[in-house]
Amino acid sequence: MRAQLLMAARPRPSSDEAREALRDAMARLAEGDQTALEEIYRMTRVKLFGITLRILGDRKEAEDALQDVYVNLWQRADRYDPARASPISWLATFARNRAIDRLRTGKVRGGAVGIEEAAPLPDEAPLADALLVDAEQAAQIHKCIETLDERTRTHIRAAFFDGYTYAQLAEQADVPLGTMKSWIRRGLQRLRACLEASERP
Amino acid sequence: MSAPEDTGPEATRDDPVIAAEWALGLLEGEELLAARGKYATDPDFAWRKEWWDNWFAPWTDDMAGAVEPGAHVWDGIAARLTTQTGIANAPNATSGGEVVALKARLRRWQWAAGLTSAAAAVALALLVLNPAGVQAPNTQPAQIAAAPMIATVPIGETGLRLDVTYIPEGERMLIAAIGLAPDGVHDHELWLVPDDGSAAKSLGVVAPGEVRSMEVPAEVVAELHDGSRLLLTREPLGGKPADAEAGPVVAEGAFIRV
Repeated sequence: MRAQLLMAARPRPSSDEAREALRDAMARLAEGDQTALEEIYRMTRVKLFGITLRILGDRKEAEDALQDVYVNLWQRADRYDPARASPISWLATFARNRAIDRLRTGKVRGGAVGIEEAAPLPDEAPLADALLVDAEQAAQIHKCIETLDERTRTHIRAAFFDGYTYAQLAEQADVPLGTMKSWIRRGLQRLRACLEASERP
Repeated sequence: MSAPEDTGPEATRDDPVIAAEWALGLLEGEELLAARGKYATDPDFAWRKEWWDNWFAPWTDDMAGAVEPGAHVWDGIAARLTTQTGIANAPNATSGGEVVALKARLRRWQWAAGLTSAAAAVALALLVLNPAGVQAPNTQPAQIAAAPMIATVPIGETGLRLDVTYIPEGERMLIAAIGLAPDGVHDHELWLVPDDGSAAKSLGVVAPGEVRSMEVPAEVVAELHDGSRLLLTREPLGGKPADAEAGPVVAEGAFIRV
């Protein structure tokens, strides 16, 4: 209940407003305003928790990772470069990378999360859907990944979404490790070519 | 199983592909450490890693479940912020002017070395609370002017690094391994490399996720100076066995005087 009180009800902002509010809070955090962190937490916790939970597959681990993400963010807010990425895109990447680090260095099993892990959300809370990463960019990566054959596409996405290693992917597909590496590396070469082509004016 | 990707030569694995593998989270062990090292030293590689991160970021939209983290998560974050800023804000052990001077100096180290806040807070606490480290208000600030030295040993991007601070007052060294997590199989051992080419001197096993303060043996103090090199090696649990060679070097850094 405390979380719901803390995250007081407010009208759901539009995507643009949410982005602007987040950008503003990130700027204030970089200047050392500690209260900005709570605003950032309120706006992004659901999305970032979704990411750490998906990667780590364990509620407690995912919550620990989430804590690390925000404490680290407070210590390193000046690392964010607004010219390079939108705040939510950067935060989401940051959270996923932290979760992957934890997965690789710890003893967490990782993998998909059972539905029973999911705690219900208060109605007014999920701003996550208002804080989507840039839609145009989303359409482009989608278009490019679709140019790959289905098998390669599936494995690349499994690596991203579930944090699988080459060895895990190879085992699941029942192919030699070298084969899996070749599939994915060729896929990544083609993905890069497609994305770069889309960047040319 | 006869898609076009089955045939053809071995896929080339250039830097952009390695950056993509890292962005996806596919790299492990030595390859992961190598990629992190390259990120720190090769701007093109760093640019490419962020390029992939940025392109993959929209996929995180599909990951977000409608799941609320527990209320204790924010409480924990708030508590950690309070602890860290609390140490830095509440020292009463010495006169006000001295504390202000210490804080200002600490701030400069932090800027100079990008020292983590937790390490800086502990350094300040040591300086302020350790009687050997701080003289009474009426003495000349001669000792305190002896500048600390800092080494940053980056072993990754986000938070994965060591901050090593040597404080001449009291001959203490602070080793902050904030971003490191134990893997249950290895420990990391820190070494000082003497200038004369003799064997590296162990500074001990690093405690992952902690800031530790240690007294520095006289033989190590004698070797310490601006530019002294540090190495981090990966060892079996407990550190390098007496009868074995040191493990692979996974990171290095050098002291700078601030």
